Amino acid sequence: MAQSSDNAYHDPLSGRAPLIVGGHDFHSLTEAVAAPLERKTPLGWWLFFIPSLAMLGLFGLSIGWLFWEGTGIWGLNNPVNWGFAIVNFVFWVGIGHAGTLISAILFLFRQKWRTSINRAAEAMTIFAVMCALTFPGIHVGRVWVAYWMFPLPNQMAMWPNFRSPLIWDVFAVSIYGTVSLMFWYVGLIPDLATVRDRAKTHLRRLIYGIFALGWRGSHRAWLHYERAYLLLAGLATPLVLSVHSVVSMDFAVAQLPGWHTTIFPPYFVAGAIFSGFAMVITLMVICRVAFKMEDIITVRHMENMAKITLLTGSMVGYAYGIEFFIAWYSSNPYEFGVFVNRAFGDYAWAYWIMVSCNVISPQIFWFKKARTTMAILFVVSIFVNIGMWFERFVIVASSLHHDFLPSSWDYYSATFWDFASLIGSFGLFFTMFCLFCRFLPMVATAEVKTVLPGADPHAGEERIRIEPGAATVRPATEGAG
Amino acid sequence: MSQHARSVSEQQFYLPSSGWWGNLRVIGLAVGVIAAAVSALLAAGNETQLYYSWLVAFLFFLSIGLGSLFFVLIHHASKAGWGIVVRRLAECTAACLPALLLLFVPVYLGRADLYHWTDAEAVAHDHVLQNKVAYLNVGGFVVRALVYFALWSFLALLFLRLSRRQDATADERLSRQMIRWSGPAILIFALTLTFASFDWIMSLDPHWYSTIFGVYFFAGSVVACFAFLSVITLTLQQAGCLRDVLTQEHFHDLGKLLFAFTVFWAYIAFSQFLLIWYGNLPEETSFFFGRLQGGWLAVSRLLAVGHFVIPFFFLMPRSVKRRRPLLLAGAAWMLLMHWLDLYWLVMPNLHGEGPRFSLLDLTCMLAVGGLFLAVLGTLLRSGALVPIRDPRLLESLSFENS
Amino acid sequence: MAVIDLLVPKLPDTEVYGALARFPTTRALYRACEQVRDAGYTRWDAHTPFPVHGLERAMGLPSSKLPYIVLATGLGGAALGFLLQTWVHTSAYPLVISGKPLLAWPAFIPVTFELGVLGAALGAVIGMLALNKLPMYYHPLFRSRAFERVTDDGFFISIEAWDPRFDLDKTVALLRASGAEEVEIIPGERSAVAGGGAEVEGGRG
Repeated sequence: MAQSSDNAYHDPLSGRAPLIVGGHDFHSLTEAVAAPLERKTPLGWWLFFIPSLAMLGLFGLSIGWLFWEGTGIWGLNNPVNWGFAIVNFVFWVGIGHAGTLISAILFLFRQKWRTSINRAAEAMTIFAVMCALTFPGIHVGRVWVAYWMFPLPNQMAMWPNFRSPLIWDVFAVSIYGTVSLMFWYVGLIPDLATVRDRAKTHLRRLIYGIFALGWRGSHRAWLHYERAYLLLAGLATPLVLSVHSVVSMDFAVAQLPGWHTTIFPPYFVAGAIFSGFAMVITLMVICRVAFKMEDIITVRHMENMAKITLLTGSMVGYAYGIEFFIAWYSSNPYEFGVFVNRAFGDYAWAYWIMVSCNVISPQIFWFKKARTTMAILFVVSIFVNIGMWFERFVIVASSLHHDFLPSSWDYYSATFWDFASLIGSFGLFFTMFCLFCRFLPMVATAEVKTVLPGADPHAGEERIRIEPGAATVRPATEGAG
Repeated sequence: MSQHARSVSEQQFYLPSSGWWGNLRVIGLAVGVIAAAVSALLAAGNETQLYYSWLVAFLFFLSIGLGSLFFVLIHHASKAGWGIVVRRLAECTAACLPALLLLFVPVYLGRADLYHWTDAEAVAHDHVLQNKVAYLNVGGFVVRALVYFALWSFLALLFLRLSRRQDATADERLSRQMIRWSGPAILIFALTLTFASFDWIMSLDPHWYSTIFGVYFFAGSVVACFAFLSVITLTLQQAGCLRDVLTQEHFHDLGKLLFAFTVFWAYIAFSQFLLIWYGNLPEETSFFFGRLQGGWLAVSRLLAVGHFVIPFFFLMPRSVKRRRPLLLAGAAWMLLMHWLDLYWLVMPNLHGEGPRFSLLDLTCMLAVGGLFLAVLGTLLRSGALVPIRDPRLLESLSFENS
Repeated sequence: MAVIDLLVPKLPDTEVYGALARFPTTRALYRACEQVRDAGYTRWDAHTPFPVHGLERAMGLPSSKLPYIVLATGLGGAALGFLLQTWVHTSAYPLVISGKPLLAWPAFIPVTFELGVLGAALGAVIGMLALNKLPMYYHPLFRSRAFERVTDDGFFISIEAWDPRFDLDKTVALLRASGAEEVEIIPGERSAVAGGGAEVEGGRG
């Protein structure tokens, strides 16, 4: 985690503002992050928690009713035999990816600004993966034999079909959840030690102490710790790419027009990061105000996230364009027909919501004013999440409902229980996130300390000196090339 | 003081006026012209082979130029600090792209041999090609090629010019200008590269299509760029330039990026393969069908092992990336593998049964390469090898890996 | 061997565990580490709230062996995954699926890759905890009240009494001379049993 100073305070290029403002030192930072955990629960927290808990209750109810009655309570039909369940699954996995991107990929790219948001983003990943994993579990129909998905020796001598992307999903998403959980926990250890050492009551010291594993800040330990962190970041990066690629292959390995296209893996990954960053922006806009952390999660952090949103949104737009072009270029009437139908057929309303939310709305982030205004960030991030949900819905529903044989065509309408499961999954997510904010340090304190000015023992020392050359030096010619 | 300051002599920022690098423009020009003449001679009566070999060579150096342009753009867009010391080299490499328009002419001349859709007779009997005529026609092909080169030249020269101007004026506003241009430039870059790869490579088999193809060519280009940058910086250091400017830390980073994009290339290549293999649709599998049979099967295996498995394990250890001779070997190997990748993309359209290496492959590479390097040599000579007045140069020079 | 033996370090039965010094800044800590290293101590450590860049150089520590562990567990996981799938599809439960060969290796790659990553990640986490001998809930340094700042803003060096070069007066003097704001003697096992507290020797070094 310790990296060479990037002279954030002495940066001659004013475009890179200081990372942490407000003149924080190490102790005030510890106070700012740990104090919310030690205060009495604020009323605002309850205002978020109670409705989330209610939505979670709805989720439990809809799952219970599903198990009792069966998948007929959903609006599934032939040919649209995959509906909200798979859309919600892909949606939540996608949201999870931004957390890993912020933790792992930005770490590998030495983007120090990630340190203020990576803890909350990683937590978001874990909760999003929890939401995602419920859907494959509950949508199988015969839930009582769901364990058949796992390679467990059994008396029937049957094994799962490892050649199916549905099994690849089981492995990919559960391994992703496990690795994200480990990565998040490893990052938490020093911060849990901080809370442990500040604990005033015996119970607090005991509970936080158990999970802090006796961490003492020993540098011999930091050495192995940092190496583990770097390795986990290096592993999590291809994991993110592979997980959403595997998810995309649920569709792309089929022969269905609109599903079978080679660009799906990187397109889904870009889309996942896009929706995930939008969710992080939504959460951070609220949290930084609610927990008074505007000094730590600054405007610069929000602006950088907006830029990444714009970048990945453009990648998604690129994929839409290329898919459409190749659908025409392929001279395959079914392929082209699907794309025309998407834009002008029965689901045109969903398609245009998707395009306006995903392609048009993020374009406002070309303007610095938009990137740095919290209200615009909040609104656009919500639009992006809506748009990305609709993208998966369009892919699933519009491709299935209008496939090769006209006699098979049928329209899919979601039922109350479809919506209940969607809203309920948000309940699970926000309940977990509220609990996280209340009981765990929201900011990776130890990591943020490494970007404060006092952290580098060699700050301010002259490292490099350019000596003027001898007479053989050739002067630079202006405007050459 | 626990760390001593490293001093860098300004002399190292410039190309020497003699030796291989100093005379690169003359050497390159000579080699290029002679090789082109030899190619023309060898091709008498066998023009098809010439055009195919020339296309591979052209694409090789085009991809290096485009990859370098991408490096410059993403460097500015992300406001990266470490890479400032190599940025000028990438800018100069990208600025060779305008010259590639000239080297594109043989591709245009060979269109009848290379691209079957130019044959009106063939199109008249093929309804699939008839449906594509709005895109696959010679007029559109030419206009698009001119547009690609116009946009690439504009972007490459813009960034080189602004960067060189900063050498003279040390104006911080130029940095901000380059950052502002980088965003839209990336969009333009992505679209032009994609459609160029469709036009020049994918349409070699006009019945085949793949939405990921632009990304595949892009991945290969970025690998080629990092390999090329590593090779030229390491050989420049051997010639005495940039000795103290680029340290082990910078090479470590170049090695890391080479490693990462090699893995990315493998991911894209495998995605394309797996989806086409799995769906088993004849209009898509035609691409792999020929390449996994006969002589081409060996080449495909060599590509998988040489372009992915070997560099994956070779470039993984930290110590390899920090040792100059090893990194040079790895980078040179990746350039060879990138050439093989392009050969594997293009040649099966000419030689269906297996690779038929011809002397023309070599002479075309020397011709295109000689001329490319001649332009590069001219550009490197005419200014500093490093953006000497970039406001963040000191940060880049003192960069340390964790 | 009881589980408790894994969580609790085996320490020699001495009066004194060692000396603990606190430094005001990372720079002071860095310089002090160099001095302690140069004086030839081996059983010592620095303690910081966050990893200080380059401190392992100042302490003369070798780099971590964790990457080798991770490579091994990663390759092991991947091999296990590929072998499992191959065995299942060619021997245990062979079915012709969509006309593809039984050993459909392209389709085996995703699970192979995922299990490789899982193996590597488990190797990294468990390997790191093992190398750091964590969890270790009991450690003599926790006897010091001043040490509570180690997770907040305190930078410490601790030198254990059974280091061959340890001498109570000389070691404390070295620490004070290298810039310590506070030096504390941490009681050892014999003393803690007797319920002794820690003597704090304050004063700027």
